[in-house]
Amino acid sequence: MSDAVLPLLIALPLLAAIFPPLLGLRFDQTGWPVAMATALLVAVLAGRLAWAVSPGSGGPRRFVHELAGYPAPYGIELVGDGLSAILALLIGVVAVAVLVYARTTGPDSDAFYSGLLLLTGGLLGMTLTGDLFNLFVFLEIVGLVSYALIASSDDPRAAYGALKYLFLGTAGASFYLIGVGYAFVATGTLNMRDMAAELAALGYSDPLVQASFGFILIGFMLKIAIFPLHTWQPDAYTYAPDTVSAFISALVSTTAAYALIRIAYDVFTVQFFAANPLITDAVLLVASVSIVVGSLLALLQTELKRIFAYSSVAQFGMILAAIALQSETALFGAVIHLVGHGLMKATLFMGAGVLASAYGAHTVADYAGLAKRAPITGGMMAIAGLALVGIPPSVGTLGKWFIALGAVEEGSLGVAAVIFVSTLLTLTYIGRLLETLYFNQPAATDDDPGVTDSVDDVDDGASMVADGGDSSTATGIDDIAPVATERVVVVVVLALSTVALFGAAGLFAELLDPVFGRFFQ
Amino acid sequence: MSSDRLNGDTRDSPTDSRVARQRPLYSESQVIMTTVKAVIPFVLTYGLFITFHGTSSPGGGFQGGALIASVVLMIAFAFGIESTRAWLSNTLVVVLATLGVAIFAGIALVPMLLGENFLDYTAYYPLLGDTLGLKKYEFVKYGMEAVEIGGIAFIVAGVLMGLFFALAAGMTPTSETNTVGDGIGDNANADTDDTGEVSDATDAGVSDDTIDDSDTDDATDAGVSDDTIDDSDTDDATDAGATDDATDGGDRQ
Amino acid sequence: MTDFLGVVTTRHAYALFVLVSAIGLYMMIANENLVKKIIGLNMFQTGIFLFFVTSAYRIGGAAPIVEHGAGPYVSPLPQVIVLTAIVVGISLTAVGLALTIRLYSAYGTLRADALREVIGDE
Repeated sequence: MSDAVLPLLIALPLLAAIFPPLLGLRFDQTGWPVAMATALLVAVLAGRLAWAVSPGSGGPRRFVHELAGYPAPYGIELVGDGLSAILALLIGVVAVAVLVYARTTGPDSDAFYSGLLLLTGGLLGMTLTGDLFNLFVFLEIVGLVSYALIASSDDPRAAYGALKYLFLGTAGASFYLIGVGYAFVATGTLNMRDMAAELAALGYSDPLVQASFGFILIGFMLKIAIFPLHTWQPDAYTYAPDTVSAFISALVSTTAAYALIRIAYDVFTVQFFAANPLITDAVLLVASVSIVVGSLLALLQTELKRIFAYSSVAQFGMILAAIALQSETALFGAVIHLVGHGLMKATLFMGAGVLASAYGAHTVADYAGLAKRAPITGGMMAIAGLALVGIPPSVGTLGKWFIALGAVEEGSLGVAAVIFVSTLLTLTYIGRLLETLYFNQPAATDDDPGVTDSVDDVDDGASMVADGGDSSTATGIDDIAPVATERVVVVVVLALSTVALFGAAGLFAELLDPVFGRFFQ
Repeated sequence: MSSDRLNGDTRDSPTDSRVARQRPLYSESQVIMTTVKAVIPFVLTYGLFITFHGTSSPGGGFQGGALIASVVLMIAFAFGIESTRAWLSNTLVVVLATLGVAIFAGIALVPMLLGENFLDYTAYYPLLGDTLGLKKYEFVKYGMEAVEIGGIAFIVAGVLMGLFFALAAGMTPTSETNTVGDGIGDNANADTDDTGEVSDATDAGVSDDTIDDSDTDDATDAGVSDDTIDDSDTDDATDAGATDDATDGGDRQ
Repeated sequence: MTDFLGVVTTRHAYALFVLVSAIGLYMMIANENLVKKIIGLNMFQTGIFLFFVTSAYRIGGAAPIVEHGAGPYVSPLPQVIVLTAIVVGISLTAVGLALTIRLYSAYGTLRADALREVIGDE
């Protein structure tokens, strides 16, 4: 009965999202406990699903749940296989981590926690659905709640970032809808499995099919933030509250990339790409440009969150390149990199949030010598940064290695070269950050409570309520505000997980084997 | 919220706006008040009619819910947004929206407890078939109706009402300026009324038209702040029922 | 493109879909007023709905409810898609307008180029 897990995973966070405002009518501070309990439950259920699709449990490797009992293609299906289970587990884990972090940070309103739960439910819906239009609806739910969450900061620039994201993200989702419309007109079905068969029967050189894929691709490129459609990402990530930045950067683009993988390989199969070399080459080209430009733009930035945002553009360019390479190794690397990038970015944003709350450090220059005063957080950010570059042992290494290997196997030496160049560029800006952290002398005004940020820090009242035990400084005199231990603990745990996953290639392979077997038959 | 004022605010908003804007939203028009008083019951009935008739004619939960919300909007236009907000009480709006989601989720999840699939209305047959005297396939029709009326119409009405009050109340999120700022809202009313209470409620409510982290903890905040979030509930409800929430679900029979 | 007139007269709805969507997209891109951008967004989405509804139509088809006629029915699935998408569009408009109001109250302007200057400078 494991397929009952699938609708529960989606319905529970959505249902739980009503409790913070409802209970908030009577009681105080009901948001966090409800959100935390739900996130834990979701993580447990996702783990159960992952275990159920792994070979160790001896059951079917793919679970299908038909909503309302209607069989496909008349009804909507929820599908859980190895790939979905990996993503679901990532969503659950990051949700728990962010919620632990959010207890003492960030906006504290019931609406905020409600929004986080809705976002979790929407992301899980995107991961587990087997119907193209259902994917659109969940895509829009995720987008809507993201726009609102990003704007939930005191800073009015957050509203600007959110509005920009709204325009671009909605255009993306609408393009995706046009693509689905074309595919629906061509085949008459919306179910992913069914459509794959129908598209094959129709022939992959049909302009309607090609146009459909084109629109779907552009739609997802807007949602994943691939150059040149990435312009919403820096503003949205930078101005959002730190908790929200961490959550969204780790999960939203990741799930959109997963959806692209699912559609590209499950609906338009590898035969589609084989029949349309022009499309494959075009995607490879755009992805390569995105990789290089993303890294270059990240080099030019001084504000830390912007650097991370542009670095995401490069990383997702790599994942798009891996999708276009049509190689099993590269796709394996892409999935690992999806998970790894999610964890790494979450660590980096949360660490940046800790340092911003404690020291008002927003730009690279502010980070001068901060490692002495915040050894743990600084160290964890260094670990995550090095993982981002791809220095072993870390999950970033695994991802990049397999993608590059796949590129070489397919004969796309250009892509391999681009990945190498991007690694060098990433090393440059991460190296610059680490140098500033560790080796630069702090600016003369050590105890200057950075004027521009005192407002944020005072408003960040939650960090004032922090329990004792500020493990992120040596002296504690120069702090702007003490930071709760649990925030640092979360950063530590996530950073260490990026290192620990280095040995998990086997686990990934186990879960993904039947899925790739189907993709690449 | 004071950071709003730090960032390149080009106008001295409160006083400027009250001088510049001579066009208040609420006007003491006898025509509007009388018309609204006469028309409202019929609009409400029509909204309910469209909601209930969703499965066999154009209509359904969303359209009906929007009409029901428009009743409250008309009252607000005729009699003043602030007084309508005071009359409506945030609890009602919040409870309406959340109750809708709860009913929808309840109807959808109970079949899972009974061993069937999510949203499988026919699972209710062994349980309620005799008490209600319905055949198995008729449960599909009435299940859909229940979800539409008790779920979607509630959610949509609640969300639209809440959204309107949040948006119409103006823009200034600051609580110390004690006005509704340069909003499209009731400049005429807010400052002449019991300013302490009204602008407090307004500010707290407005400050969360998206989700801000206001540190007020009164119910207005929790309630109104939810609109832009709960509007995704509409999607959720609409979606979680697969595409079954469709009004003319002809092919489902 | 050999029979342009033929396409426009028989498939005018699809041509209109392209036109409306393109106009909406252009409004979103080229117009500097935030509210007009949101209107453009709505137009863009409306064009898409037009496409879906047109694809459902059958000449001589009846409404897809079994009592209404025995003949061919228009396809109900795209109509359902459009309903859901309309709801989504409304929520987006609501969030967009709320954000616009917030920006207006903070910066006093509705022009995107002015906002770009002000925020870009900070």
